[in-house]
Amino acid sequence: MSLPEANVYDPQADAFEVQRGPDVGGAASFYRAFGETLRGLKTTMGRLIEGPVTIQYPEEKTAVYPRFRGRHKLHKFEDSDLEKCVGCSLCAAACPADCIRVVATDNDPANPTSAGERYAAVYEINMARCIFCGYCEMACPFDAITLGHDYELSDYNRSDLIFTKEMLLAEPIERTPLRLEGE
Amino acid sequence: MTPETTHLVIDALPAGYSSKPAGEPDRAAIVFTIDGAEVTAPEGLMLVDAAKYGGVEIPVFCYEPKLGAPVGACRMCLVEIEGIPKLQTACSTPVRDGMSVVTKSPRVIEAQNSVVEFILANHPLDCPVCDKGGECPLQDISYGWGRGKSRFTEPKRHFEKPVALSPSIAIDRERCILCYRCVRFSQEVSEDYQLVLLERGADAHVGTFDGTEYIAPFSGNIIELCPVGALTSRAYRFQARPWDIEQGGSVCAMCPGQCNVTYTVRDEKVMRVLQRDNHAVDDGWLCDRGRFAYQAWESEARITQPLVRQGDKLLPARWDYALDVAASALKKAGARSAALAGGGTTNEEGWLLRRLLIEGLGSRNIDSRRGGKLSADVARTLTEPDVTLSIPDVEWADAILVLATELVDEMPILDLRVRKAVNHRGAKLAVATARPSSLDSKAQITARFAPKAVDAFAQALLRSISGEDLGDLPTRAGADGEEIAAIAELLKGAERPAILWGEKVLYYAGGAAPAMTVANIVDKLGVKNTAGAGHLQIPVQANGRGLREIGFLPNLGPALTEEGDGKSSDEIAAALGDQINALILMGVDPMVDYPNGAEWDDALAKAGTVISFSTWLDGTAERHADVIFPLEVGPEKEGTLTHPDGRLQRLRQTVERAGEVNAGWWAIAQLAERVGLDLGVKVVHQITAQIADGVPIYAGITPEEIGGTGVRWQERAAAGNRPAPSRTTFDLPEPQAAAQPNGSLRLGTFRSLWGGGDVEHAATLAPLVSRTRVELSPADGERLGVNTGDEVTLNTESGEVTAIVALRDSIPTGSAFLLDSRDDGVRRAVAGSPALVEVVK
Repeated sequence: MSLPEANVYDPQADAFEVQRGPDVGGAASFYRAFGETLRGLKTTMGRLIEGPVTIQYPEEKTAVYPRFRGRHKLHKFEDSDLEKCVGCSLCAAACPADCIRVVATDNDPANPTSAGERYAAVYEINMARCIFCGYCEMACPFDAITLGHDYELSDYNRSDLIFTKEMLLAEPIERTPLRLEGE
Repeated sequence: MTPETTHLVIDALPAGYSSKPAGEPDRAAIVFTIDGAEVTAPEGLMLVDAAKYGGVEIPVFCYEPKLGAPVGACRMCLVEIEGIPKLQTACSTPVRDGMSVVTKSPRVIEAQNSVVEFILANHPLDCPVCDKGGECPLQDISYGWGRGKSRFTEPKRHFEKPVALSPSIAIDRERCILCYRCVRFSQEVSEDYQLVLLERGADAHVGTFDGTEYIAPFSGNIIELCPVGALTSRAYRFQARPWDIEQGGSVCAMCPGQCNVTYTVRDEKVMRVLQRDNHAVDDGWLCDRGRFAYQAWESEARITQPLVRQGDKLLPARWDYALDVAASALKKAGARSAALAGGGTTNEEGWLLRRLLIEGLGSRNIDSRRGGKLSADVARTLTEPDVTLSIPDVEWADAILVLATELVDEMPILDLRVRKAVNHRGAKLAVATARPSSLDSKAQITARFAPKAVDAFAQALLRSISGEDLGDLPTRAGADGEEIAAIAELLKGAERPAILWGEKVLYYAGGAAPAMTVANIVDKLGVKNTAGAGHLQIPVQANGRGLREIGFLPNLGPALTEEGDGKSSDEIAAALGDQINALILMGVDPMVDYPNGAEWDDALAKAGTVISFSTWLDGTAERHADVIFPLEVGPEKEGTLTHPDGRLQRLRQTVERAGEVNAGWWAIAQLAERVGLDLGVKVVHQITAQIADGVPIYAGITPEEIGGTGVRWQERAAAGNRPAPSRTTFDLPEPQAAAQPNGSLRLGTFRSLWGGGDVEHAATLAPLVSRTRVELSPADGERLGVNTGDEVTLNTESGEVTAIVALRDSIPTGSAFLLDSRDDGVRRAVAGSPALVEVVK
């Protein structure tokens, strides 16, 4: 039984010349074996005397860039102490991870919580779901929510990772160091 | 010539229509050009609507076809029409053959940009706190047709932020763009004439003329009409955003109107109720009861777990225990048990309850109405498709008689349909009621008869139509013979007469005589072969027609076949404690819902075991029930209902049941199992299938066929399975003469829309629940020396009750109308249906 001609494999049909270096031996070979190795080791040795780059976390913390997106913060007006958030839910609409839940309610005009007609009675962010994209910050018409620098968000329970409004309004206990300009 | 077009084809029939109503004129097709494309559209449409046939959207704020003639107030819909130098409003320009319209030229775009900019000049930028945000036409149109930038730097106008327009509605006048929609609704659709535009220029704002609250049966519709956030629901205020919620379509089961609704659901709770446009049922409107009563479902007062009476106390119980107690009582009673169903009881619940009684207990004592037994012939005649109307038929009838029913209280949505028929379809209206009706002002002929004399009146009308001598019937009816003759002339002269009458008269008459008279009138009018002519019976119970047609009657079976001979509701009451030992009440409380409540109160005190499916702890549930099962409310229910015009509609569950509430059908199936009957149902659709199998006129019906807008059984092939009545005219008994006042007054009672648990426990409706009130004519008021607001004592032969006087010009002298506030005092005073009342200051 013979195959049709078109299907016969011809190993030579698509062969091409392999480019090879010069033959082993001579000064060039010697340089390649030792010279280049030494050149690489120079970098290694240089780093060696710089000292360790690892840090003693959690005693020490990595400084983050000013625009680092970490744990969210809710803000209040500094003068009136009213919450900036009016519970408009736009952050929840913008959130691609669907991790924000807002339940708004009527503001008591005599004893207001926020500066608007309404305020967020419930404001929760599920940090286990959040992808720290910062869309909520961009959607917020009142600059009420920003992403802070804290990245220490581990916990023992998933439910503990749902941050309530009180948690988000409170200043973080320990501030994360900021990387300085040009650092 | 057939034009070559690439336009979208949209269904020419509105939602819910299977065919064009008989009276609606045909519309010729015309061809016009829009943005260079040739489009075919029905003649007479406004350009905005005609453009949709070409897939072109023209932005509008003030245009809303449901509100009647366009006003062109907002100028958003400007378009260029060839041959007309200036831009024209597409909402008020009818499309014509050969017209050439441009909607995207630089001139039009510039105009649209400028109108948006102009509207926004005074519109505050408070979208983040505005409830309309996210579902706001102004946002959408600004985004789609606006310039994106404003050149206005001047301060905007300011008003006090939201003020209460009514307990249900808040108005934020800053946001108003003065489109007139709400004002037009109030002035032209619901015709309560309360909303007006006050002041002029920049001070212009919407309000009531004298600053009082806007209280009207349909006021909530303006919330949905408002294209901006100026009118918002106070109950829904700040509850949710459009992206926080889910929408679930269902049907409102609070009255026979069965309007289609959409429930807005957040976190398994109904947050608001919106209309779901079904032209064949509700025309896209809702009454305030349907719109706001949802607040009651969350109230503490609602029963959410089974209760069992121990001693004189009702104690919470587990389902198993409560079912055991109820089932053992039923088993013991056996054939000596009975069941009443009513309210929003679905066809499915009714069907299972019927089977439980008949197959499980061997009892035929089931009833879903008051007023004795209907003979098969009467029931069938009243159901004959040839002479029964659909709701669109009412709209297109050329003469309408409203007989002995106050539509706004008994089937509110039909009130708007009748107004539409009169205002826009040229129908002539006659109103014949004992108590003055809200439709009087629209009527060409208004006839009054004495309370409880509807029988004599209807027979007089029948004689007048047949051209016979009226004899002393007008006197007996306490009516004017000339008015009766005028109504007869109107009906005889009409091509498509429509008679709307309330089943309520049968409840009060305690017999079928008024229904037989209506049947005779319809027969005499000879409209059997005229499409779109006939009568529409307005049931008392929300699913009255469905329960009747599945055979929840003592003497009639499915599709009104003759079957069995059980006790009617009145006979059950008489036999309680004696021949009847166990009674099931499904969604009906005879003490509250039937006119002979006091008799039921006494009868139930003697009853053995009363098993009540109830939402509220009032009436029978509070006083007499031994076992109470919590009843589902609207959005928790799954099943089918039958509209008064024969349209099967589907209730769909949209939220989880509250507390320990279980499905009504499930509880019945459990009871059946405990008395040794396997009903063979695990899910609700199996019951629908059983009904499709067992009720010949519903044969083969499936939830899928019913779908979102329902289907009239008369329009299905299975309608041919109905048993024909052996006769369509009836021998009428001699009517009772109306009582002669002789110094006292004739007593009539009426029910208001604003009553019952759903209203009392809803925060924004509760203020509308009125106290016991008696309406008198000014002449009688003067004679008795009482004025509006005075407290008087009403003495009848049965008892006495105190009430607040309301003097009304339209009340006929010699009659007093007592608002049945569903409490004990009224119940006792009207026991035995006394004809006369004495009013004592």
